[in-house]
Amino acid sequence: MGIEWAWLLPALCGGAFASILFLGRYTPLRGAPIAIASIATCFALFWFFMSDVVTDGGRSFERFWFEAGDISISLGMTIDELALVMIGLVTTVSLAVQIYSLGYMRGDPRFGWFFAMMSLFAASMLGLVLVDNLLVFYVLWELIGLCSYLLIGFYSERRSAAEAAKKAFIVTRIGDVALLIGILVLFTATGTFEMSEIFAQADAGEISKSNLNLSAALIFIGIAGKAAQFPFHVWLPDAMEGPSPVSALIHAATLVVAGIYFLARLSPMLVHTPGVLDSVAAVGLVTAFVGAFLALTQNDLKRVLAYSTMSQLGLMVLAMGSLSFGAGIFHLLTHGFFKALLFLGAGTVMHAMNGELDMRKMGGLRRVMPITYVLFLLGSFSLIGLFPMSGFFSKDEILVGVLDERNGWLVAAGLAASGMTALYVVRMVLMVFLGESRSEEARNAHEATPTMLAPMAALGLPTVGLGVLALNWGNFGGFAEFLHLPPGGSHEYKIVPEIFWPSLVISYGLLILGWRMYYRRSRLTPSIVESRYPRLYAFAANKFYLDDLYQWIVNNVVLVVSRSIALFDQRVVNDKGVDGPGKFTAFVGRTLRYHETGVIGTYILTIAVTATLAILIMVAVN
Amino acid sequence: MFFAISTIAIAGGIGTVITPNVVYAALFLLLSLLAVAGIYILIFSPFLALVQILIYGGAVIVVVLFALMLTRQSGEAGNLDSRQKPIAFVAGSGMLAVLIATVLKNSWPDPVDRQVVGLTELGSELFTRWAVPFELASLLLLVALIGAIVLARPSDKRPGDNS
Amino acid sequence: MIGLEHILVVSSILFSLGVFGVLARRNAIMILLALELMLNAVNINLIAFAVYLDPDLIVGIIFAIFVTTVAAAEVGLAMAFILRLYRSRSSVNVDEVNLMRW
Repeated sequence: MGIEWAWLLPALCGGAFASILFLGRYTPLRGAPIAIASIATCFALFWFFMSDVVTDGGRSFERFWFEAGDISISLGMTIDELALVMIGLVTTVSLAVQIYSLGYMRGDPRFGWFFAMMSLFAASMLGLVLVDNLLVFYVLWELIGLCSYLLIGFYSERRSAAEAAKKAFIVTRIGDVALLIGILVLFTATGTFEMSEIFAQADAGEISKSNLNLSAALIFIGIAGKAAQFPFHVWLPDAMEGPSPVSALIHAATLVVAGIYFLARLSPMLVHTPGVLDSVAAVGLVTAFVGAFLALTQNDLKRVLAYSTMSQLGLMVLAMGSLSFGAGIFHLLTHGFFKALLFLGAGTVMHAMNGELDMRKMGGLRRVMPITYVLFLLGSFSLIGLFPMSGFFSKDEILVGVLDERNGWLVAAGLAASGMTALYVVRMVLMVFLGESRSEEARNAHEATPTMLAPMAALGLPTVGLGVLALNWGNFGGFAEFLHLPPGGSHEYKIVPEIFWPSLVISYGLLILGWRMYYRRSRLTPSIVESRYPRLYAFAANKFYLDDLYQWIVNNVVLVVSRSIALFDQRVVNDKGVDGPGKFTAFVGRTLRYHETGVIGTYILTIAVTATLAILIMVAVN
Repeated sequence: MFFAISTIAIAGGIGTVITPNVVYAALFLLLSLLAVAGIYILIFSPFLALVQILIYGGAVIVVVLFALMLTRQSGEAGNLDSRQKPIAFVAGSGMLAVLIATVLKNSWPDPVDRQVVGLTELGSELFTRWAVPFELASLLLLVALIGAIVLARPSDKRPGDNS
Repeated sequence: MIGLEHILVVSSILFSLGVFGVLARRNAIMILLALELMLNAVNINLIAFAVYLDPDLIVGIIFAIFVTTVAAAEVGLAMAFILRLYRSRSSVNVDEVNLMRW
């Protein structure tokens, strides 16, 4: 089964979506098996495709689309190593999450709709990584945004969920507009939407510097929106209103990384825009910091994970901005697995706690849900980047790349962010699983069902073991080498002592430090920071008041403008323009009707006078 | 000769539109129409003159007089002229001025030498070349006849009668 | 010989008199009389043109015959109308008939 069949991946999932939508009510379990069957098939196909790519290398296929004059828009698929990696990630995590959802979403009245949405999302995501046409890519990008909106607002009875979905959509929309403009700039500069064509032109120097930089900057703004970079990150924490499987799949492993993937896909072009890449790296670093910082002050379990995701995304963006595209993708891969695992674990906890997510009310869950505890711990260790988890290797690669391309200060900053990661992770684990149970729900919690545990365990394997992919042994030159993304040169994995040892020390060291800090305080008392620096704490706890700032902007700028435009539309366009002619006609009618006197005499008089005038005119003309 | 007859015609016309007495007005019209018939004779159309006298003098005036009789209004002494008489005067004179100006401005050709049109010739023309309009005219008369009868019928509605 | 313009002048005068009559009279029957005057003036015009300008005099005469016929029919119908009007309003004063006003 060669990779020319890759189009089956989105097609199968899309077909599943349609089938569930129309036939779901006739099938048992409302169509969920259809979704799982399709994604399992995709998972199986992935292995076939992988063997094909590993032996023969990546290839592109073209399917001609349409032609209008001298503009021809064609559609094709490109399956190279990068696409393969993404396919693997999406199918694996989707499969795990969907099986998990069988247990988690049981009993929900919109069970079938959930799986339909999941299938649609899988289809869009798989299509996204396959296409080589920017326009189709954009369409699919929008589609995944739509699925995200629908799934965040899945519990539509909840006001907060609806608001969160709206927020996610609107914030990412701002980015999407920039993305579209960027794509269009590229189109006008090159005359094509095809990525391979654009890269060729860029390499040959046929695109002007300004166009390249402009489009790259705009595209990055679009990516920043979906990838929750600062300052577009505000939607991600709120997106936790969606069900936990959704958070696991979409907001940890796939949708938010679609942008990162896109950066890697565009790498042949981005090597020509170093200025933009500087900004990219800066944004990534800031995001990594802010995310970690904010995660320290959250009390909601899923929100800690959300900010953690934001922070890790920042690291990936930092890697991309430092021309370490391979390292960034590797971290994308490992993060996808362990973050999904963590989210599924959080879902289990939430299920056990009857929907409660406030960590202050948890505690001691280690005893009642041991398997979840162990798996969650594995995920957490990978998140901190403890050796020998996969997270260590991917983070290490990023730091190495940053050191190579940029300077040591950035590496130090990256290490600091890692340190903060350790702190908040430890805090999280402590508050949830260790110590004494702090509430009734915590005491009565129960372990999850096998349907939910099995996928989590499945995700645990790559969490622990995927690190080996980074190394080079035998013919395999390491993950980044496997991807062979630009810039050229060897991407072989190497251990840089200046990074390796400090990273090790920091991660383990802060683990222990955090343990000491929080263990004593696993009772419900404010931390040292909170008591000593209350304003700083409030600043962080309120997410830097960014949400309030945005709301203020919306209220005072956006709504004001839209209200005045609405007023203009109503008063001028509607009342004067549309009603105007009507009213005018009525006015004319009202005025002119007085000539209908009803008396014959006036009518005949009019005729006589007109006839006389007519004769006069005729005579005068002649 | 022509001037005399035309004077009578014009005088009759003036009388028709001036006099306050309805019957006199009808009679003045009769005078005018007869004078017009005379004009017809002068311009080689005796048949038309006969038609004129017959139809107008015989039928139309009689009908008018009948109608006058049937629509007698109480207090007939009232003015027959409408409120807009002055304007009418203006309009009428305006029209006259325009028409006469038109007539006098143009140069008309000299008359052709004419013979009186024979009756047989007229008849054959009427029934061959102008047969269709002839038939249509008779149809028109039929319609007018029926229409007049229908319109002038007394509407006999007694209570409980649906006719 | 009488010139064409003489006849045309006469018919113009008669026509204008008719116009004046139609506009200035109140009684419906008076209006009708003035209308007849107008029609006659038209007839004179027709014949005059036919006699002086047309090689074929017949056409003019026939045309005039038809005009007269129609005028007669019209008078008949008009009388019926007037009788109707009189019956419903006891008056033939056209100034008072204004139900179709605005």
